[in-house]
Amino acid sequence: MIKYIVATLVLGVVAGYLNSNWGSISAGVWVSSYVFSGSLLLLLFVMGFAFGMDREAITKIRRTGFRILVVPFAVACGSVVGGFVGGLVLGVDVIASAAVSAGFGWYTLAGPLVGQLYGAEWGMLGFTANFLRELLTMITISVMVRVDKYAPIAFGGATTMDTTLPVIVRYCGSDALITAFSSGFTLSIIAPFTIITIASLK
Amino acid sequence: MLIRLVGCLVVLDSQVAVYMASLTVSLVAGILLGYALRKRGKVNLNRASFAVIIVLIFSLGFSIGSNGELLGALPRVGLNAVVIAVLAMVFSLVFVKAAGRVAGLK
Repeated sequence: MIKYIVATLVLGVVAGYLNSNWGSISAGVWVSSYVFSGSLLLLLFVMGFAFGMDREAITKIRRTGFRILVVPFAVACGSVVGGFVGGLVLGVDVIASAAVSAGFGWYTLAGPLVGQLYGAEWGMLGFTANFLRELLTMITISVMVRVDKYAPIAFGGATTMDTTLPVIVRYCGSDALITAFSSGFTLSIIAPFTIITIASLK
Repeated sequence: MLIRLVGCLVVLDSQVAVYMASLTVSLVAGILLGYALRKRGKVNLNRASFAVIIVLIFSLGFSIGSNGELLGALPRVGLNAVVIAVLAMVFSLVFVKAAGRVAGLK
């Protein structure tokens, strides 16, 4: 299945590129906002429906309870440490690099925010690094799910509440739905604050 | 500094809040309806949801492809971005595994 997803993604990128360069702009906005949001809302509803019917999944989540929130906070700490180590490896400002990775994959937030704090060049890096996180999560799911059940959720960061959620549920099963959504939701809420807090360390 | 920080928080505008709320409402509505109808037997939504996933992924790709700023930045900052993204992902996984073991997640 993953090959269809990657092929569709590539096809979408090409279509979007061609459209913004030679086609009409209004159609582009229509596809990337209305079609995107519409299909996402529908998918969340359908996935929720399947979860609600699945007794095993509900029992599993009940047994886990609030321990589920361990996942987003571990992802948050891991991302910041990863960004810090990345700064050391690349020999760049480690605090700025940690702020970039504290976007947790939410590139439309991290790009402008890091750009405001550290200038346009870092903004670009914040944008690209977090975009790649989403992309790499999506294309490695089929491999990573065999490594660990929580691996795609850890990889996805804040994107597990929307863009990568359908693919994660597809591979990890219905009981991953609540873990993934709550992790992505929590990370999306704390992302702006972690970026600003890390940036203010200097 | 403080003014700059407050300025940054404006990014978290009402649009984001509406977006997150609508996703949550949609999910919860699905769960409640599924739970209410759970005795009606099983429905297989796999094929339908796969079609919607394809539509979603296409429109995601479409918005990436129309984002000239992002495509222009890729070759310039790409290598640094790959290093930071991969390390953030790997450390996230390590931390989740460690925390999961401590908290007893299965």
